[in-house]
Amino acid sequence: MTRLILPLLLLLVLVTPAWSAIEISAPGQQQIPLALTVLQPLDGGRNPALAEEFNQVLSWDLELTGLFSRIDPRAFLADAGRLGLLSIDVDFAEWRLLGAEMLIKGGYSLRGGQLVVEARLFDVRARRLLNGRRYVGKPGDVRRIAHAFADQILKSLTGSLGPFSSRLAYISDQSGRKELYLMEVDGHKPVRITNHRSIVLNPDFSADGRRVIFTSYRAGNPDLYQRDIFSGRESRLSARRGLNVGGRFAPRDDRIALTLSKDGNSEIYLLDGNGGISKRLTRYWGIDIDPTWSPDGDRIAFVSNRRGNPHIFLLSTDGGDPQRLTLNGKYNVTPAWSPKGDWIAFSRKEGSLFDIYLIRPDGSEERRLTFGPGNKEHPRWSPDGRFLVYSSDESGRKAIYLMRADGSGSVKVSGGSGNCNHPAWSPRW
Amino acid sequence: MKKVVVMQWIAVVALCSLLAVGCAKKPAAQQAPAEAPVETKVAVEQPTAVADQGVSESSVKEQVPADIEAVARQLQRIHFDFDQFSLSAQARDILAANAALLQANAGVKVRIEGHCDERGSDEYNLALGERRAIAARDYLVSLGVAADRISTISYGEEMPLDPASNEAAWAKNRRDEFKAVR
Repeated sequence: MTRLILPLLLLLVLVTPAWSAIEISAPGQQQIPLALTVLQPLDGGRNPALAEEFNQVLSWDLELTGLFSRIDPRAFLADAGRLGLLSIDVDFAEWRLLGAEMLIKGGYSLRGGQLVVEARLFDVRARRLLNGRRYVGKPGDVRRIAHAFADQILKSLTGSLGPFSSRLAYISDQSGRKELYLMEVDGHKPVRITNHRSIVLNPDFSADGRRVIFTSYRAGNPDLYQRDIFSGRESRLSARRGLNVGGRFAPRDDRIALTLSKDGNSEIYLLDGNGGISKRLTRYWGIDIDPTWSPDGDRIAFVSNRRGNPHIFLLSTDGGDPQRLTLNGKYNVTPAWSPKGDWIAFSRKEGSLFDIYLIRPDGSEERRLTFGPGNKEHPRWSPDGRFLVYSSDESGRKAIYLMRADGSGSVKVSGGSGNCNHPAWSPRW
Repeated sequence: MKKVVVMQWIAVVALCSLLAVGCAKKPAAQQAPAEAPVETKVAVEQPTAVADQGVSESSVKEQVPADIEAVARQLQRIHFDFDQFSLSAQARDILAANAALLQANAGVKVRIEGHCDERGSDEYNLALGERRAIAARDYLVSLGVAADRISTISYGEEMPLDPASNEAAWAKNRRDEFKAVR
């Protein structure tokens, strides 16, 4: 019982208006000079390690956003060492002197197995509080609290929450077999959640974030499984002859788009929540695979070789003829429709290497996001559409990377031994 | 005194139920992943009907019983070009030999496993591997092997023969394997 985590209780919410609307994916934008101070003890008990961990987690998240330039903490003056969480107590003149426009301060107390973190975001020029949160949890929750505050900082500055409290699912072979894992967005706390001792592939989250679907060869055929993440309950949703692969939950309900080859050829189907076939979407003798939903659930993008090479096509879920989307390249696969609906990410093989591209759903503005050595594949969007997760073998083994939606700021997040691929970004956790 | 104990119990129960609510949000697998039962297939000997036929002297020949191991050893792989599932002339020759072997061993069934090299999307390769397996199956059927003796499965790029990332390895890995099964 003691190992159970008391849920974070957000006791105090200081409602604040958005600072200004900032488009995070806009390249070359000006960065906001930010001072991130270390949490101070709210009462007598000091725990420098805890304060440092909060600082590191928050710092990593904010770095990924690309929104901030950081004031060197070595230049900090007296106010950085004072608790002073009310705007009247903050020496804003001192922070202006250092060039800071944004200031993060906070305090913590750790008492009787309860962790309290008070976190504040101040606008230095306006000398006012932008966002204040009080988090109550267990000592082990410090990472979750830091991620949650990072989400709030983005909300204050851009109007929409960040994705740092969500999770990444991915496939790793570190146990010797390909199994499904979950980890935090920054790659910490990886947890293996399947033990099929077979081949597990290609996870996707349900809209409520509580379930994952994936393909596994556990019963000798590539079948589609569904697993409740929290209870661990697992069932086989589709075990039709041949392929049951590439399952993708609909954005708002439990329908699943996937590829079946029960009639001897791979076609895109829709399943209902119980695994029954509700619709067949494609009829073509070649390969149809890799469906992804538009956020309104009205359309599907998928991969077909009906024009010879694998290209991306769009199709209404009401039926009709597929429309070709990608005209360039000779090998375009693994489309992923953005949560805002404005882009479709995919990977293209040019020569012998895969890189990640974006294209508008009307076929315009195609752009390449990744360059350099290695294969970059399997792009998937963060729930807020700001970031992409993908796999790359640029460091030798396949690993999971994040980058901003404009291709900047790429960073490896998966660690450990083995190969990691097939990432999927959960909805808000 | 008794009252105090009762109050303590109420407090404990209330706390426990709070904690129980709390645990709903915790991934179950953060506890040590439960060891799933390993499925072991117990080979059950099927009683086989004894064929009892009268024979004339001329039909007495040294009949080698269908030896699944021997067949398994003699079935040969075929290979494919990148992103292709069409059968090369060499592949057709090998399939003809495999077909002859299967026709000489009527008790043996075959599972064709389609494989791809590591390049390409995993899902596309699953579909491609399936097409490779089906291409071989269809050719064996056209050569007279009964369709119900053949099953197919695709492993995409998941089971390379050679894990290296170079042209030689990729060429080896783009293949159909033929597994003799009862």
